[in-house]
Amino acid sequence: MNLFPGKVKNMALTKTKGKCEQTVYLESGNEMAALALKHVNPHIMGYYPITPSTQVAETLDAFKAAGEHDVQMIPGDGEHGAAGICYGATVGAARVANTTSANGLLYSLEQLPVQSGTRYPMVLNLVNRSVSGPLSIKCDHSDLMFTLNTGWLILIAEGPQEVYDFNIIAFKLGELEDVRLPVIVSFDGFFTSHQKRRVYYFSNVDDVRSWIGDVKTPIHALDPEHPATIGPYMNEPDLINNKKQMSMAFDNAYHRVPEVFKEFAEMSGRKYDFLKTYPEDFSDVEAAVWVMGSPSETMIFAAKKAREEGKKVGVVIPKVLRPWPVNEIRETFKNIKSLVVTDRQDSFNFMGGNMTTEIKSAIFENENRPLVQSRVYGIGGKDLSLDECKEIVELALSSTQKKTVDVPYDYIGAEPGDLEYKIEPAVEPLKEEDLKPGIIKVEQKEDGTLDVKGVNLRKLTEMPNRIMPGHGACPGCGIFSTLNQFLKGIEGHVVVLFATGCAMVVSTGYPQSAHRSTYIHNLFQNGAATLSGVVEAYHEKMRRGELDPNLDLTFVMVAGDGSNDIGQGPTIGAAIRNHNMIVLEYDNEGYMNTGNQLSFAVPKGFSSSTSHVGPAQVGKQFGHKDNAQIFSACNIPYVFTATEANPIDLIKKAAKAQWYAKNDGFVFGKLLSTCTLNWRVPFNEAKELMQKAVDCNFFPLYEVEHGITTINYDPEARKKKISVKDWVGSMGRSRHLVKPENEAILNELTNEVDRRWHCLKAKAENPLL
Amino acid sequence: MSALPIKNENGYFEIRMEAIGGMGANLAGKMLAEAAVIHMDLNGTTFSSYGSEKTGTPLKAFVRLGPGDEEIAIGGPVVNPHILVIFHTILRDILPVTSGLIKDGIVIVNSTMTPAEAKEFFDLPGGHIYVLDCDKIVIEEKVKINTVMMGAITKVSNFIEPDAVRKAITKGLGKFGDKIVQANIKAFERAMNEMQYEHFDWPEGMDEIPIAKVTQKIGYMNAPLGGAILNPGNTIDRDVSGSRAGWIPVWHEDKCTHCGICETACPDLCFTFEKGVDKNGKEGMMNRGIDYQYCKGCLKCVSVCPVDALTKEKEADFDVDKIRRAKTF
Repeated sequence: MNLFPGKVKNMALTKTKGKCEQTVYLESGNEMAALALKHVNPHIMGYYPITPSTQVAETLDAFKAAGEHDVQMIPGDGEHGAAGICYGATVGAARVANTTSANGLLYSLEQLPVQSGTRYPMVLNLVNRSVSGPLSIKCDHSDLMFTLNTGWLILIAEGPQEVYDFNIIAFKLGELEDVRLPVIVSFDGFFTSHQKRRVYYFSNVDDVRSWIGDVKTPIHALDPEHPATIGPYMNEPDLINNKKQMSMAFDNAYHRVPEVFKEFAEMSGRKYDFLKTYPEDFSDVEAAVWVMGSPSETMIFAAKKAREEGKKVGVVIPKVLRPWPVNEIRETFKNIKSLVVTDRQDSFNFMGGNMTTEIKSAIFENENRPLVQSRVYGIGGKDLSLDECKEIVELALSSTQKKTVDVPYDYIGAEPGDLEYKIEPAVEPLKEEDLKPGIIKVEQKEDGTLDVKGVNLRKLTEMPNRIMPGHGACPGCGIFSTLNQFLKGIEGHVVVLFATGCAMVVSTGYPQSAHRSTYIHNLFQNGAATLSGVVEAYHEKMRRGELDPNLDLTFVMVAGDGSNDIGQGPTIGAAIRNHNMIVLEYDNEGYMNTGNQLSFAVPKGFSSSTSHVGPAQVGKQFGHKDNAQIFSACNIPYVFTATEANPIDLIKKAAKAQWYAKNDGFVFGKLLSTCTLNWRVPFNEAKELMQKAVDCNFFPLYEVEHGITTINYDPEARKKKISVKDWVGSMGRSRHLVKPENEAILNELTNEVDRRWHCLKAKAENPLL
Repeated sequence: MSALPIKNENGYFEIRMEAIGGMGANLAGKMLAEAAVIHMDLNGTTFSSYGSEKTGTPLKAFVRLGPGDEEIAIGGPVVNPHILVIFHTILRDILPVTSGLIKDGIVIVNSTMTPAEAKEFFDLPGGHIYVLDCDKIVIEEKVKINTVMMGAITKVSNFIEPDAVRKAITKGLGKFGDKIVQANIKAFERAMNEMQYEHFDWPEGMDEIPIAKVTQKIGYMNAPLGGAILNPGNTIDRDVSGSRAGWIPVWHEDKCTHCGICETACPDLCFTFEKGVDKNGKEGMMNRGIDYQYCKGCLKCVSVCPVDALTKEKEADFDVDKIRRAKTF
């Protein structure tokens, strides 16, 4: 076998070497993944947005709206659901793709062995990002390394060209009859996903589609004449045989990879192998560096400079991580004296990350083993500079004459900090007496509902702000004015939990925090569960006498409509357990933190970055979720809706929420909140837009107290009623629905808004509903 | 095939744009690189430093150009730019924007200053300094600043072909319609013609502007465990005024009824209310004005004020430091 065909060479010169015509382009990794998927045209893409992989689905959706492919794109309720959609589609004999990153991968992790163990191929673009916590959106390989034992094949793309090529190769490879395994195409977040580079793509999609061929699924769910039980209950003595079959499939894949690469090279002129080495002929190399992903080219550049000075150094870059190319690694390193393995994650206390341990194990049987040094780099998106690459090259070279290494394992780029530096308080902690000005009075009436008096905006300016200025939200952001209003109605100390989202990201960028009171973050889907744990710790510690009996805390979770999609289950769980806490949904109708992907709260027909408007698609394809009614059906003490355009109403509801959370249990509040950027409206129009949403009955202001519904503002009774069209026409995201050709969609939305309003009115008129 | 006039030791011509989220610097990088790669047969890459932060956060956009028959081997940020582009003067106080400028390099600044004033303002040792009142063109042509700066970059580069950039703008902005494309092309042309330029000798013996080393005060030896922030509320140290796009709210004490509605509408908590006594001797909370350090110019307060005590004004017409009411905490 030729071990070193992957010579580093000039892509520009290879474009004519393939037999298929190609076009030059300047694009990023995410966009090339989307382009490859457009060219392959799988049946289904199940996905859930997460930075930095989101652009794959966004770009593919834009192509879809333009009518350029037929991929059915299905937004999951979270990555776990998205993986389920993908699995179901493969079981339904479809060709399937997905894309995710970091915590999205981990949230769906249990589905990966299901996909591989029941032998349904698909392709997952894994755009590498650091796994939380603390939360980082930037690149490292801590997500990828969780997939090593999932039974998926793994291809590592170095740049946008390889992202495109490997997506096409992945479908071909995974679907081979003697392989039938799902494939991950992994590439670095931001460095590769967002960096635009010169690339070549096949000018004729038929070249791609005819090479991959039609999907063949020997066992599937859509053939009643050949019924199959897919996914039985299996223990000993059988499960071990299933795993042995997978091991055999991996062996087959190992032999098939070079064949598939060869076929692809004939089409494209671009040759790949398990390992890329620099120089191609590794015979004189004494010191080597192992590097993976986006820094590879810079490392080669550093090694090239050293070789020009006569230094015998080389670089090894894996293109295939599973099947693990153990023979190629042994062969490549057989004459090497010194090796530095770089790892973009750590297997704490293991003297290196996963690459170090796997390479050490691979070369264990070599007669002459090199000295191995491990360097952890690039965590949380830290760039590996050319100077650092040069240092790594020198580090490898410095050990060629040694018997042992001085520092076998270390971090590059970690800083000790300034030990003289003292963290000084920025502001004094808030004092309880200042937070209880006693302006608002809440009393329970005879019928059990509450009466709130004293909400006076001028007097309430006395209430200290729990959130400080200087946060990084966009101009005109609705979140912080809405929260400021809400917190005016809450007396005393609060503990807030923000689930992942805009409000969290813009207010806690390390080492700065805009939260003057105690703040906790937990991931997207799990905020309510986490806060319920905090609440119960407070109560149990209080019961055991471990806290000051006068310690008075109110617990508030703040989460967007995104968090309320992916976290629907845990939030309903917390509601049904009826913990003493408040959950606020700031509904800005979209996953704004990741760039305006559709949420389930977005109305039908509205545009977003995953529901584009074009000749083949008009915005979102399904209707909007009514989360206030979902929580009303949980029979919790208090549910309310409010907007910042009606601050007195909102603050009254905050005061009620605090009373109910202290005395009766769980409170859910839905706050419609402007996102000027993605609604495409002027920065200053929040009040007007909120009022329109209320006046057209899209967002009625109401509350449900122990099952009793009260409408707080009836636009019809006040002769303020406007049409849904008036509201829809006032925002860039939805203005297209006012056009005559979209009349049917607008009518459907209007009818649905009216139907829900009449239901609500019936509930308000009848305490039994 | 085009040739690069100058290259760094690694063989590239490099541009760094210092901008603020929302100004379109990322797209400017994309269109410039596309002009070079697709229309001039050069090779190139482009990317930005930004992550998840929003409109109003500083960001850097990079363009790295190389010969058309070679791959670009360096993927990291541009450290030693040939052309440094500064989209907003406020960035000087936030980041070491001039870090690493090559010897006798080119600087483009969006400002009404003269080149000599800009040299002093940014403490530049010398070099080719271009100043352009981009905001004027932005307001007059109703465009974003990015295509204006593209005109400036194209002109000063002396090798990027204007026609290639026009093609890239036409494609890049095509989805917004012909009217917007034409406005942007006009802004692009105007920028090429409206710059002020002056050359200042680079000091003898000085190489590049030294690269700013940002040392982390908090590191693994002293960071509170688990990433906790133990001095919360410290965003009060930030100056977010760079988010403003030329407009500010101005508060008129004589008209104010101290109703507090502006305070409920402000997302950035800019207003100060204190206990006091009104004109009629009545005690109550009194509005004391706006802290422009935190004001992003959204003008929501102007929209909600029931008595016109807040008005929308051009920032350039005011000395905001004089009318600012600094918040105390």
